[in-house]
Amino acid sequence: MDLYEIRGGGLGVIAEEAELQELSRESTAMETYNVGSPPSPTAAEDGSDGEEDAFKEGETEGEIILIRDQLQEKVAEMESFAGHLEEIFLTVEENFGRQEQHLEQHYNDVLQTLSQRQDESAARLEEEKKSKLEALYGQLLACGQALDASKELIETAQEVYRSQDKRLLLKTVMPTIKRIEEFAKDEVDLTLSTCLEFNTPLADLSDVKTMMDSINVVPAPSAPVINPQMPNSATQTSLRVCWSLFSDDTVEYYELYYRPVLEDTPADSTFTPQVSKVTLKETHCTVADLLPNAQYELWVTATNTTGISPASEKALYMTVPSPPVIKQRECSSCPEAALIRWESGNTNPVDSYTVELREMGADGTESSITESIVAVPTCQCLIQLQPGQRYLISVRAVNIGGPSDRSEPITITTTGTFFYLLEDTAHPCLSISEDGFTIFYGDEELPISAMALDDNTFTRCVAVLGDLIPVRGRHYWEVEVDDGTEFRIGVAYEDTERNSYLGANSTSWCMRHILSPSRHKYEFLHNGWSPDLRVTVNPVRIGVALDYDRGTLSFFNVNLEQHLHTFHCHFQNYVHPCFSLDNPGALTVHNSIEAPEYTFI
Amino acid sequence: MALTLVSSNKCAGGFQKVFEHESTELKCKMKFAVYLPPKAETDKCAVMYWLSGLTCTEQNFITKAGSQLGAAEHGIIIVAPDTSPRGCNIEGEDESWDFGTGAGFYINATQDPWKTNYRMYAYVTEELPKLINANFPTDPEKMSISGHSMGGHGALICALKNPGKYKAVSAFAPICNPMQCPWGQKAFSGYLGPDRSTWEAYDATVLAASYSGPQLDILIDQGRDDQFLSASQLLPDNLIAVCSEKKIPVVFRLQPGYDHSYFFIYSFMNDHIKHHAKYLNA
Repeated sequence: MDLYEIRGGGLGVIAEEAELQELSRESTAMETYNVGSPPSPTAAEDGSDGEEDAFKEGETEGEIILIRDQLQEKVAEMESFAGHLEEIFLTVEENFGRQEQHLEQHYNDVLQTLSQRQDESAARLEEEKKSKLEALYGQLLACGQALDASKELIETAQEVYRSQDKRLLLKTVMPTIKRIEEFAKDEVDLTLSTCLEFNTPLADLSDVKTMMDSINVVPAPSAPVINPQMPNSATQTSLRVCWSLFSDDTVEYYELYYRPVLEDTPADSTFTPQVSKVTLKETHCTVADLLPNAQYELWVTATNTTGISPASEKALYMTVPSPPVIKQRECSSCPEAALIRWESGNTNPVDSYTVELREMGADGTESSITESIVAVPTCQCLIQLQPGQRYLISVRAVNIGGPSDRSEPITITTTGTFFYLLEDTAHPCLSISEDGFTIFYGDEELPISAMALDDNTFTRCVAVLGDLIPVRGRHYWEVEVDDGTEFRIGVAYEDTERNSYLGANSTSWCMRHILSPSRHKYEFLHNGWSPDLRVTVNPVRIGVALDYDRGTLSFFNVNLEQHLHTFHCHFQNYVHPCFSLDNPGALTVHNSIEAPEYTFI
Repeated sequence: MALTLVSSNKCAGGFQKVFEHESTELKCKMKFAVYLPPKAETDKCAVMYWLSGLTCTEQNFITKAGSQLGAAEHGIIIVAPDTSPRGCNIEGEDESWDFGTGAGFYINATQDPWKTNYRMYAYVTEELPKLINANFPTDPEKMSISGHSMGGHGALICALKNPGKYKAVSAFAPICNPMQCPWGQKAFSGYLGPDRSTWEAYDATVLAASYSGPQLDILIDQGRDDQFLSASQLLPDNLIAVCSEKKIPVVFRLQPGYDHSYFFIYSFMNDHIKHHAKYLNA
């Protein structure tokens, strides 16, 4: 049956139905109209009737439209159904065609095999026949010979008998008689040397049988081809695997095997990772519950009623890494840049990291533009930024499977310079507040055991360094002390002597406050030398301004905006802020302050 | 008031000029030096007044102090008047180098024969600023004062006696407590008479003890090897003690190896100009 006929017929039916509906609608419409039309005695009734009329007409129109829409929907459905049927029909046709071809080939094979066998048997029989004939022929010859011999003998004997020479007869008669006797004794073997029957062994047609059997059965599938990992198809815990079958095989289902690839092959080879299996009908699969940043080996087999295909080649896939974790206390910034440090977040190495940053507006809205810095090789990145902005910065770990999720972001404000203290460098007697910006030198004696064996801590001067961002430019920070705090504050090279006092060597510069019974004394120390300076108002909030380019380190009384002293030095390397307490007390570091104008005149 | 140009030299991109005029306070012809930085050609500039020390004229500062480069960089006009009235023909005015000519001590004398002419305090705080503001592109609100030795004393007392008038003040080796040193005692008794209570109005240490007004920020440089320091003429410790007591911000720097000369002034002039610029250009 022609599909078009079906379709056309169907539509025709629908059209008829539609017509019918319309007619019925019309009739009802007419009915209502008729109901409304007879004239009524009162004018009022007329008017109301007219209204009803119009109202009902409107109603029926609406209904008509509704029904029309429904019918249209139905038509569309039928059309798509017909389309599906067509597709199926075509597929079936195709399949049949393929099966036909397949069977033809199969039978050809069988026939070929059979004719081959036949030829073989025929050849063998020929051979046998030949040998038998030869044997018989030989026998025949032998008989003929024997016959000739006996004939000769008889003739000879007759001759001897007939001969006149009695002497000769006597001479030869005895041997002749002997010969005849012997000859008579001879049994003639009259049996045929060969049997007349042919040896026809049963042909081994078992393989032909299997071939015939397999005609009715589809062949086992050939090995599927597994695709290499598609970029960005993996997540931290899942992989999307695809494969295909490059043949006409019918497949009932696939089996996907996977196991993790271990970093080191253990010496004890009995521990092999477990192989997991997924059975499915599709040619793709999302494998879940995997470990992040791990390599997996995957292969797939196809199965149908006949059997299982050989395994595909093993493909290596990698899950995406876990997101890194930004180390808040190890990040620093200044108006032009930020230094971000993070932990990988993965036990195994990843290929690289991507750092992402978004500007944040004053009202807290995030910019839609994200800047990315890719191929960062180590767990830190120095990023150039614009001054006076707020940024949200996060990091992703990247391997061949793709990028991880974003790490928790860190907010960086490029106002002033910001740094945390390098707590590793703190003298054991120095304790640091929760927020990391106040240091305390307590009265209590510390047990000897607490004295650091660490190379990095200060051992005599109760000091700590700050983690200033390594950018040569201008930096400013403030230190809050109280009148009675004896302190040293300034800068030092990272490798400044840990067993020395700040300012006493050539690798540190500091302002020092000494409290004597009579007065306050202020020193500005470098290499153990200080200018002689008197200050009448004791600073309790000190501004420190570092200018790498000009080679200056200046100190200010912030509350008075008063300049106290400037060191002039060309800083060879990067310096770190340094703070120490010479007697029990405390001081607080204040950061992220825009340098007042007067600090860098 | 008419100004006569005495000299003009281009210097550090600007002009170092010297003018002369008839002073109404001092009742004689007075010269003063004025440095006009490049900025003065287009904009109004702040003014720093420099008061020189004993025996100086308006020339010492402009030839020896090395102020022009700093003034040009920060766009500041520097005015340097003479240290006393000249040619008044007062008896005894040239007898000593530390009293009379070249030793006006920046006070208004009350004693004869000095009281008519020796009114340097009024000249420096009233007449000169009016004159400068009328004749040069100045910002009248932005004034500061500095000086050396006797001029340092002058700068300190002008600032302490006129709270808010000077936006910055600094001094090189100033006479901090004239009532207690030979120089001061000689000058004050001559100009102000024997009543020491009248001297208090011109003594920085005394004035600091009773100062009330906008916050000051005083920078003082003092050569450690200054002979007059060791001769107890300068007495900075007295001033420092009072300022510490009264919480008047002072940064006092004792500079090792330096003496009382203009070589010492030259060495730290830039620091002082920066100090002034911070407040004048704010």
